[in-house]
Amino acid sequence: MARKILIIDDEDDIREVAALSLESVAGWEVIKASSGAQGLARAAEHQPDAILLDVMMPGMDGPTTFRELRKNQATAGIPVLLLTAKVQGTDQRRFADLGVEAVLFKPFDPMTLSKQIATALGWK
Amino acid sequence: MKTTSQPGPHADAALSQAMDGLWVRFLPELLERVAVLEAAVQAVSKGKLTAKQREAAQSAAHKLAGVLGTFGLTRGTVLARELELTFARESSPRRDAGKKLAEIAAELRAMIESRKSSA
Repeated sequence: MARKILIIDDEDDIREVAALSLESVAGWEVIKASSGAQGLARAAEHQPDAILLDVMMPGMDGPTTFRELRKNQATAGIPVLLLTAKVQGTDQRRFADLGVEAVLFKPFDPMTLSKQIATALGWK
Repeated sequence: MKTTSQPGPHADAALSQAMDGLWVRFLPELLERVAVLEAAVQAVSKGKLTAKQREAAQSAAHKLAGVLGTFGLTRGTVLARELELTFARESSPRRDAGKKLAEIAAELRAMIESRKSSA
């Protein structure tokens, strides 16, 4: 089933690789945002099936963006997966405790990213 | 219809080719990050690393660690992560660590400059 995914990441290269991966491997529609603030607006406007959210961003970081998404009735129910290059256990536990659906790690395999997302969200 | 479970060999080849295109597009940005690291390493060797330089180096290494493996450079991610952890510490790396850090930065640059097309 074709899905609509919002990618929020300030790093152009990661954002483009993730978008390419989800579009070409899974055939999903991808919406992109380069900041937390832009991501909040795009999420409310496009109502994606899921959001792939970078953790470390200047200005509004991933955890703050996640909390804002949950505060807004229009975006509160959209599943969020954090994407992080942080590998330390304390960081991982902190991110999991936020209440996101899953935490995915950079670097990711472009061939299997969509499968990781689908598995995490229980999508067939 | 495309699915998430069976990408198949054609999707694989098309993705590899498209990834190579993105690599070419973002190569200057990746090399800029390496240059930030090289400048910081040089400053370590001279005992003149500033807090601002250390933070910039940590950020550059973090970004490289996150992306290089995605382009198939797994060792690049390992090297970048080593530099990230080094520059993440509040205190400046010891001056005598400069040589080893320079070797890591040089290996990183060589790896990025010589990455072959995956298609």
